This record gives sequence, structure tokens and C-alpha cells, in this order.
Amino acid sequence: MAEDFSIQGMLDMYLFENGQLLERLQEIVLEQKDEECFDEDSINEIFRTMHTIKGSSGVMMFDEITKISHKLEDVFFYLRESKPDNVPHLELVEHVLEVADFITAEMEKIQNGESADGDATEKVAAIDKFLNAIKNGEGEKTKDIKENVHEEPQQFYIAPMATSASRFYKIYLTFHPDVMLANVHAYKIVYSLKEIAEDLLHYPEDIISDEGSADEILENGFKILLQAQCSEEELKGLIKEGYELKKVDIYECTAKEFQQGFDSFGTEIRIDLESSVEEIQAKAEGIQPGEMYIAPASQPAAQEKQKIAPGDFVIESKEPGKGKKLAKDKPKKQEKAAFISVDVHKMDMLMDLIGELVIAESVVLQNPDLKIPGLRLDNFNKAAGQMTKISTDLQNVIMSMRMVPLTNTFQKMNRIVFDVSRKLGKDIEFEMVGEHTEVDKNIIEHISDPLMHLVRNAVDHGIETIEEREKAGKTEKGKVTLSAKTESGKVWISVKDNGRGLNREKIIAKARKQGLLDYMKPDSEYADKEVYQFITLPGFSTNEKVTEYSGRGVGMDVVVSNLQSIGGSLEIESTPGQGSVMNLKIPLTLAIIDGIVMEVGKSSFVIETGMVKEFVGMRENRLIKNPSGEEFVMIRGEGYPVLRIGERYQIDGYQADAEDGMLVLVEVEDQTICLLVDRLIGKQEIVVKPIPDYIKKVKGLSGCTQLGDGSIALILDAVGLIE
Amino acid sequence: MSVQDTQQDKYVTFKSGNEYFGLKIQYVNEIIVFQEITQIPESEDYIKGLINLRGKIIPVIDVRIRFRQEPIEYNDRTCIIVINVKDTVVGLIVEKIAEVVEIKNENILSTPTVGNDEKCQNKYVYGVGKVGDGVKLLLDPELLLKDDDLAMLELASKDTMEEGE
Repeated sequence: MAEDFSIQGMLDMYLFENGQLLERLQEIVLEQKDEECFDEDSINEIFRTMHTIKGSSGVMMFDEITKISHKLEDVFFYLRESKPDNVPHLELVEHVLEVADFITAEMEKIQNGESADGDATEKVAAIDKFLNAIKNGEGEKTKDIKENVHEEPQQFYIAPMATSASRFYKIYLTFHPDVMLANVHAYKIVYSLKEIAEDLLHYPEDIISDEGSADEILENGFKILLQAQCSEEELKGLIKEGYELKKVDIYECTAKEFQQGFDSFGTEIRIDLESSVEEIQAKAEGIQPGEMYIAPASQPAAQEKQKIAPGDFVIESKEPGKGKKLAKDKPKKQEKAAFISVDVHKMDMLMDLIGELVIAESVVLQNPDLKIPGLRLDNFNKAAGQMTKISTDLQNVIMSMRMVPLTNTFQKMNRIVFDVSRKLGKDIEFEMVGEHTEVDKNIIEHISDPLMHLVRNAVDHGIETIEEREKAGKTEKGKVTLSAKTESGKVWISVKDNGRGLNREKIIAKARKQGLLDYMKPDSEYADKEVYQFITLPGFSTNEKVTEYSGRGVGMDVVVSNLQSIGGSLEIESTPGQGSVMNLKIPLTLAIIDGIVMEVGKSSFVIETGMVKEFVGMRENRLIKNPSGEEFVMIRGEGYPVLRIGERYQIDGYQADAEDGMLVLVEVEDQTICLLVDRLIGKQEIVVKPIPDYIKKVKGLSGCTQLGDGSIALILDAVGLIE
Repeated sequence: MSVQDTQQDKYVTFKSGNEYFGLKIQYVNEIIVFQEITQIPESEDYIKGLINLRGKIIPVIDVRIRFRQEPIEYNDRTCIIVINVKDTVVGLIVEKIAEVVEIKNENILSTPTVGNDEKCQNKYVYGVGKVGDGVKLLLDPELLLKDDDLAMLELASKDTMEEGE
């Protein structure tokens, strides 16, 4: 049983880490796809990535993944070592992406509990051919490059080839006491160090076949002696990332100490320990499992850490570099923020709980008991104010925790543009603007598909082929721009292309054919926006031929319905010959909104504050009824249609007499409508809950919420109301 | 003795119209007193609306209306039985809770169908349990919720599954 768990844990770890590596890999590749070749850093990073994947897949016995990543590693090894010129860059990019795809597909299978049965042989052969091709292109110039032999996992000892630039390090690694299979993690670290190592020894020595070594590592830490030509910072960078490490101590030592092997570990501790009696004692008692390794460097921080009890969960961000002067003056690339990954369900639970808290708070603060006359509430109000502040902060924090930048989503689009344009033989540039805009994670999940459709459309239909562009006299390259910004509590994402634009005549003709247009109305009376909106209808495609990517007339309607499900909308702009812009307007978050509570009969309704333009009392206005029964109202010389909520939803006991009601002017899409309600109650932060699935979806209602007094209010969705 | 065993053959019975009905106790989450219901517009007549059960919002249906019986005014004997059928939590408004009884399998007869004029009622009843002199009509809660809404419920569960992915 326990074994099952640990394997599952390892597998999860494997999938998670490799998933991130692959994402990063694609990012690098796509960033540089338009360059002549990869720069050195990227080559190194791709090489390292493949190396890590190869290593971990080897441990997990996914042979095909190991094989293919090894092959790609070979290619990049060659690129790194002999820096060949005239490598067909695009071909290389494609190979890398193919490998990434293959591994992703395999990992998906693994995740779904299937066996990773994909066959990499063909791809390996293709890459092999590619590698040979670039090697031969190099000709005899190829020096005796050390063949990147696929080393057996057991082989850790790498022959010393010391140079004067080599440095010697002692590395102590302490794992979290609850880490499972510490030996595997240790092995991974050794594996990642191996690339830079000239010589490497570690203790315990047998971390693969000896199962006891895991306990030993947990208890006494994992020790590495390393000879390499890199700085301490670089080492930290290599070791820090993501392994279940509680503590990493790196000390530089002399070659002599290095020769002494692991004995020197002890000596150094003895020398340094003079500083603290406590530490000596701790040393004498032996290091308890779970306790942190006591750093010989007598820093106050080390003292503090000592107090952490076994089993405590320590989230440690980057440790400040040890105060040794040897750090090479290589500028740090970028400070990586410290992350912990958390189960999404736990986040959702936290979110729900905070929702409950917000409700509970308003239950307390608006409690009818407080309204008894003669109560002195000064202190209560003070305390209440403090509490409100804290719960608001809490809400903001949890909201920000759920906020994720759009970068990843946009990156995926980059990939799509690349793939589709290559297949269609179009030369297209892809630009991203404002990809760091942050959006609620839930929303990102919902917009990924719509965006994909829109980007595909832009590449496939929007942008013309090279010949067509030449004919049209367009000199610039085809370009797709994906941009995002936050404005007035909404996120605006636009997909813009500089292609042919939408063909108004074609759309109108098609709409006529499908009977969507009014026979009486001439074509010219339809506004551009109206016309373009037709393409969002199901089964509406003006593309004559169906391609692999689009043209079936499904897509745009899916885009729109997906957007509507999260309260977003799509607007289309287009200029013939110059391209079109698809504007997506989506809410920042779904969970907590600011709402106006109002009453109709005995029912309460809520509408999002952002949608309300103004409130108008009915007394000074008069409803005008036209012969077909529709009502409207004149406000400051403008007429607005009126919707009686009570009548619309057949609510018991609503005020039939409009005189006593309240008009709420609501802005929906391009028009303003008036909702007639009985009373306004107030403004409140509300936690949106879905209406239980058991009840059929009602048009105009997007959810429900619990009010301060525990009753339930229905959330009005203005877009649904006007449909 | 496991929970399953203690619940075996136990039925919660309630009165609706002139008959007593029984629900397998495994389906029943709890029984609460009647509380304020928020109407949901444009839904079926037997769906009375939503209630707030300690922060969870659940739909309630009126069993009398569901059985095509004359609706009656709610009073202080009116109860809501909260049932959980395949993760769909629904409240049933019933006139009066009777008792929890044990009905052994051998005392359960299949519903006599010939000459039964109240066909609509029969749809939800899978058997008749004999208790002493009287009989309890045993309800299949799945059918009680599903029936004509079958497609809808399945659609709903599919939706939630998709969301779960």
C-alpha cells in the first residue's frame, strides 16, 4: 500500500517537473524560432532540459522517452561542442517541437493511467539523419568531439580532468523529513551536476539499488564532493530548483581537502563549531532525523533555523548566498521567485471558505439584534470595522493567489501560429503585447479554447498567402498580434491580423441565403458590426473549402458561447484589405463581485455594479406604452426600453403599479435598458454560486448568492435578459 | 456491525395525501424544518425554488405537486427531507414525517399495476412494503428526481464532469 503511494508520488513529481520543463522548452524554442540559430544559452538550456528528462525518464523506465530525449540531447550536445554553422534552423526547431509533442503525448498517457506505448523509433531516426546531415556539413573540421555516450545510471564517477580553473566544493544537502524516496531525488541532483562536474563523489555511494540509502540521506544528509569550473551561484541554481530540499550548503574547499574525500567533512565541522556550544552539543548527540543540518557557518540565521521542530513544514525561499567572497562576477540572470505548488482543490476550498466568511461577516454585522433601539454599539462598530478590513484584505490576497499571467496561454498561441503558418506555407510574424496581464485561473481555462480558434482563424482565413499579398501590393509580412490589457475591471484581449479582413458582401450573401436577414431591409442598412456578428452563428462559414484547421463553420459560435458562459463578449472590427480585430471582453474574476441588491415582490435580485449606469425614480417619469405592448421611458430626452422584472419572471406580489418602482439603467453590449424593480436594497460584495444543476438554466439568471440575512438572491445576467 | 448493516432495510416514511411513502434511509441526508424558499422563475411547478442549507444552496421540490396531488398550505408540520441521489442534493417538501420503519425484503411486493388509475404516481414507486396492517409505498428517489427530467439531469451531470476535468 505504502509502496503504491510512493510510486504515485514519484510519478506525479515526474509528470509535474517534466511538464514544466517541456513548457519552458517550447517557450525558448518559440522565442528564437525566427532567429538564425539558437544562442548559446538556449542551446545549453535545451541540452540540460533534455538531459534531465532523459535522466528522470530513465529512472521511471519510460524507454521511448529516454531514447528520444537522448537523441535530441545528442544533437544539442553536438551544437554546443562544435558550434557548427549553417544548421537548418527551422528544421531543428521542428524537431525540437516534435520531440516535445511526443513526450507530452506520452506523459498524458501516463497521467491517464495508460502505458506509454508510443514508438519513438521513427522520430529518432529522423533526428539521427538530421544530426548526421549537420555533422557532414561540418566536414572534416569536426575535431575529436567526445561522443555523448548514454551513460548507465549507475555510473557516477566521472574521470577527473582537472584544470587550473577548477574549483572544489563540498555540498551538503538536507531533505525535508517527509520526502519520499530521497535517494531518487539525490540521484536527480547528482545527475544534474554531472554535466558540469569534472569529478564527483557522493555519500552514501549506492543510492540506486540500496533502498536503505533513502533513510540514511534523510538522517545524515547527502554529501557531494564536486570538482567543477563553475561558481557557487551556478551550483545553487542547479541544485535549488524544485527538488525537495530543505537546505543546501555549499562550501568551497581546496584540492587537498578534496583528495581527502569524505573524511574532510568531519574536520571542517570541528573547526567551525567553536562558535557555539549548542551546536557542538547537537553534533555530539548526532543529528536527529528531521532536524536540519546545522550549518557550520555561524550565522544567526542558522541558529534560528535550528529551532524548527521535526515535522514542521518549512517553506524556504532562496537562501541568501553564504558570505564567501568566491562568487564569480557573473551577473545573475534573473531572480526566480520562490514558489510552492498547491493542489487546486485546496485553493478552491479556501476560496469557498472565504466566501462563507464574507457571508458570515455580513450576517453578524447586519444582524437584526443590533437594530434594537438604545444599544450602544461604539465598540462593536470599531471592532467590526477592523474585522471588515481584515476580511477584505484576505479576499484580495486569495484573489491575487488565483491570478495567473496570460503568458502561458499566449505562448501556446505562438506555437499554433508557428505550426499552422508552416503547414499553410504562410510567412507570419507573431507579436504579443501585455502577456503579463493577470487573470483568474478559472477564466484562463475558459478562454484558452476561444483564443485558439481566433488565432487559427486569423492565420488561416485572415492572412493571405504570400502570392495574394504580393498581388494586393502588401509589402509587410503577415502579422498576428495578440494583446491583453486590464481596463475598468475587465480584461480585454484582442487578436489582430493584417490580412484581408472580413468580406462584408460574402457574409451578407450567405446570411441572405440562410434567411437571417430581413427581406424588407436593404443590405446597406445593416451596420458593419451587425454583419460581422453573423459569423458567430452556428454553421456559418464563408470559406469555400474546409482545411485541416478551419472552415467548417464550427468555431466562432463555440468561441462566443464559451465567452458568454463566463460573462464575456466578442466584438469584431474589420477593414477590408487591412485586416480584422477580434476583441474579447472578459471579467477579471468570477468568484466575488460587487453587486446591487434589489427586491421584486418577495424575491431578491442582484446585478453586477459595473453594469449599472444609473438609478432613476419612477415618480418624475412616465412609462409610455406603444401599441404592441412594449414599454419605454424617456429620460433626458432619450428613450429607453423598460423590462419589468416582476412581470418577466412572474414573481408573486410584485408591484404592478410602476409609480412606486425604481428604474435601474443597465448597459448591455451596445444598448441601455431599464429594469423596473420594486425597491433597491443596497450595495454588497457577493459570492457568486452556481444555481444547482438540478434546475434548468433560466435565461437572464447567471447564478445565485446568499445575502446577509441568509436568504438567497438571484443574480441577473443582463445579456441573457435582452436575448 | 457496519453502517451499511444498521441502515439495511430501514425506511424513512412520510405522509403525502392519503398514503404513506417510504424512502430508503441511505438516500436521506437529514430532515429539516420548513424554511423560507426563494422562487426560481421559469422552472417546473413542482420545483419550489432554492433554500440555504448552512451555506449550501439546494433546490427543493414539493412532493405533493410532483405526485399531482392538490397542493396544500405549508404549516409547522411541513418538513424538508434532504436527500442525496448520486451526488445531486435535493430537498423534498413533505406534509408530515411519519417514522423510520424496518421493512424486510420478503415483505416487499412489486406494485400491482392493473387497475391502477394513478399512473403518474406509480412511476416513482417500485414496491409496496407491508408494515403491520398498513402499507408504505416505496419510492425510487432516482426516478422521483429524474423521470421527465431525465435528459436534463444527465446533461447536468455531464456538465459537472466536464467542469471537473
